[in-house]
Amino acid sequence: MEQAGKFKTFRGGIHPPYNKELSSGKAITPAPLPPELIVPLQQHIGAPNEPKVSVGDKVGVGQLIGSSEAFVSAPVHSPVSGTVKAIEEVPNFTGAKVKSIIITPDPTQPEFPQKEGGDLSSLTPEQIREIARSAGLVGMGGAAFPTHVKLAPPADKPVDTVIINACECEPFLTCDHRLMLERTSDLVAGLKLCMRAVGAKRGIIGVEANKLDAAEALRSAVSSERDISVEVLEVKYPEGAEKMLIFALTGRKVPPGKLPSEVGCLVQNVGTAIALYEAATTGKPLIERVVTVTGPGIRNPGNFLVKMGTPISALIEAAGGYLGTPARLIMGGPMTGWAQADASAAVVKGTSGVVVLTPDLAPEAAERECVRCGKCVEACPMFLMPNFIARSARRGSWEEAESWGALDCFECGCCSFSCPSFIPHVKYVRQAKAEIAARKKK
Amino acid sequence: MATDRLVVTPPPHLHKEGETIASSMRDVVVALIPAVIAALVVFKVNALFNLVLCVATAVAADWLIRRALGKEPTVGDWSAVLTGLLVALVMPATAPWLHYVIAVVVAVVIIKELAGGLGLNLFNPALFGLAFVLICSGFLTPWTSKLGTFPGLFDGATGGTPLTYLKHGLEGSATAPSLLALLFGNRTGGALTEVGAFWVLLGGAYLLYKGVIRWVIPVSIIATVLILSYILGADGVYAVLAGGVMLGAFFMATDWVTSPMTPYGQAAFGILIGVLITLIRLYGAPSGAVAYSILIGNAFVPLLDRVFRPERFGAVAAA
Repeated sequence: MEQAGKFKTFRGGIHPPYNKELSSGKAITPAPLPPELIVPLQQHIGAPNEPKVSVGDKVGVGQLIGSSEAFVSAPVHSPVSGTVKAIEEVPNFTGAKVKSIIITPDPTQPEFPQKEGGDLSSLTPEQIREIARSAGLVGMGGAAFPTHVKLAPPADKPVDTVIINACECEPFLTCDHRLMLERTSDLVAGLKLCMRAVGAKRGIIGVEANKLDAAEALRSAVSSERDISVEVLEVKYPEGAEKMLIFALTGRKVPPGKLPSEVGCLVQNVGTAIALYEAATTGKPLIERVVTVTGPGIRNPGNFLVKMGTPISALIEAAGGYLGTPARLIMGGPMTGWAQADASAAVVKGTSGVVVLTPDLAPEAAERECVRCGKCVEACPMFLMPNFIARSARRGSWEEAESWGALDCFECGCCSFSCPSFIPHVKYVRQAKAEIAARKKK
Repeated sequence: MATDRLVVTPPPHLHKEGETIASSMRDVVVALIPAVIAALVVFKVNALFNLVLCVATAVAADWLIRRALGKEPTVGDWSAVLTGLLVALVMPATAPWLHYVIAVVVAVVIIKELAGGLGLNLFNPALFGLAFVLICSGFLTPWTSKLGTFPGLFDGATGGTPLTYLKHGLEGSATAPSLLALLFGNRTGGALTEVGAFWVLLGGAYLLYKGVIRWVIPVSIIATVLILSYILGADGVYAVLAGGVMLGAFFMATDWVTSPMTPYGQAAFGILIGVLITLIRLYGAPSGAVAYSILIGNAFVPLLDRVFRPERFGAVAAA
């Protein structure tokens, strides 16, 4: 039995209410097919895709419907067999209007036509990157950065360690936990593909200590693998932030403004690694993902296998509807996710959860003057002074905000969570980042 | 429809339960209860009069000034109550009652609200109020004493305070209170808080337990006073237990608004205050040393926050 305090971790951070037990015991079940799918052509960080189908076209499961020539981009495939009803701009989960393909699914859905899987151990790094690219893989933890780009680190920065981010440190979310339990060997196989793609000697799966059953399952799955280890990490938010995780597991610190390859590391999400394995064995593109639908405002929380483009209203219905008065509807986790004004937005590749909070968990309080208690400073895992960034932003002193480290902030929200004055630091940081970027362009 | 009133704000969408200004201020008020009870037991109705007078004045002043400035009332956040309580505890017990009112009004109106309100004040309001009347008592007293003092005021408080003994040596002063008295039941005067260091310490422990304050500031102040007093030939333990060191270390210097935010900054702040307390007591006027030291420390806070800012995660040491 491992004891608290013995687990690896980082300095700073917070202990939010996790509430994972609402859905952690619920096996992944397929979500019902909605009458209409809204598939945005851009679901990733990078260049947008051009539509490859026209209104009225019949599309098959997994058919390419949007792609781009740009390197930093990820193609989009049809999640179903059906008919293209429209191609139009639809607000996505951030509220931004994105050109989307609206598909009406056929009443009967054929299985995805699986291709014969080749020998995984004979794949070259180049082939693995090509598989990732053509399957439209992106980081499924939320950032949605194209996977094939991540798998191609600069030649002068060799990667020796691939880390699977199995922390799932966001409160409420359990989709990765379920995947680890239900797709254990696929995850290990996916990790091996990532290691092969970048030529890494070592693989680490970092699991938070609130998922010891998953750590146990993974340990027995890697018992014969000499290069792969499973490490248990302290339950603390944001343990799964890339820089914190790398530090906790390897002691290496990614410098400000740099990528993990700077310290020889590559971090992949659980879902992404499994999707890479699926793509390599069956040719299946990224057309569905596991989404946790949960929160005190949801009647039957659960983990659902969801086709991309499914509106969240359909998921809420699949989870038994609202319970009580919903105060916040969040796409993603409650610490970093996007609050929705209604349930119309569609699930995309980066959607890990739909969380409905009730008024007691989501107090609305007026922002007050900073009382300099220092709790944000204590909580900040990047060792910034978030209250000074907020103060500079409020004054419109963008250079001062930058000098206090606004650009180093990755918006984990520990500061605002801990703030007795209810200061929305993350809002100010985003303003500061936008202003600083605009000034640098000039 | 049930989803009509969905809140849309930037993340995070969770907030630490019970982490508000009001709850923290209330914790500090609760932490003062042992010291208040001890004062009431020893000085009875006199202490009650001072406590009620100060708290009532503070709440009224806070409400009136914010109303005059056209701001939302903040009486509900307990900060005015706390300021009133602290002034009552640190004022010299024999001062004319109008001095209490003046100290509270200076603290709440000038130091806190006219600086922009809680959070923007540079100086600890209660201590500034105290320092103001201490410095001005020379010309205040002829006027204020005409209004009289509360009858039967602090009969026991006529002798020299422990601080005079500290300065002039304990040997040969049969009337100097013992260490045990300083801890639990000193009746020789000074301020209400000097009734017993133990009761203040009890409240300090509660604040540490509740996470309202961190240990760095109180420990660095107390350690500095202890060690430096011995080095300079005074009784260090006596120095720590006598006067307002305990209250200053746990309740005044730890005031969020007027103390540094980083651990190293807090340590430097505590050491600075500890050195000042010891020097002022041994070589200057013994009365008010803690208040003056903390106020001087307050003035250094913006500098300490800058000098001791944390080194960013992963930052390479400057070449």
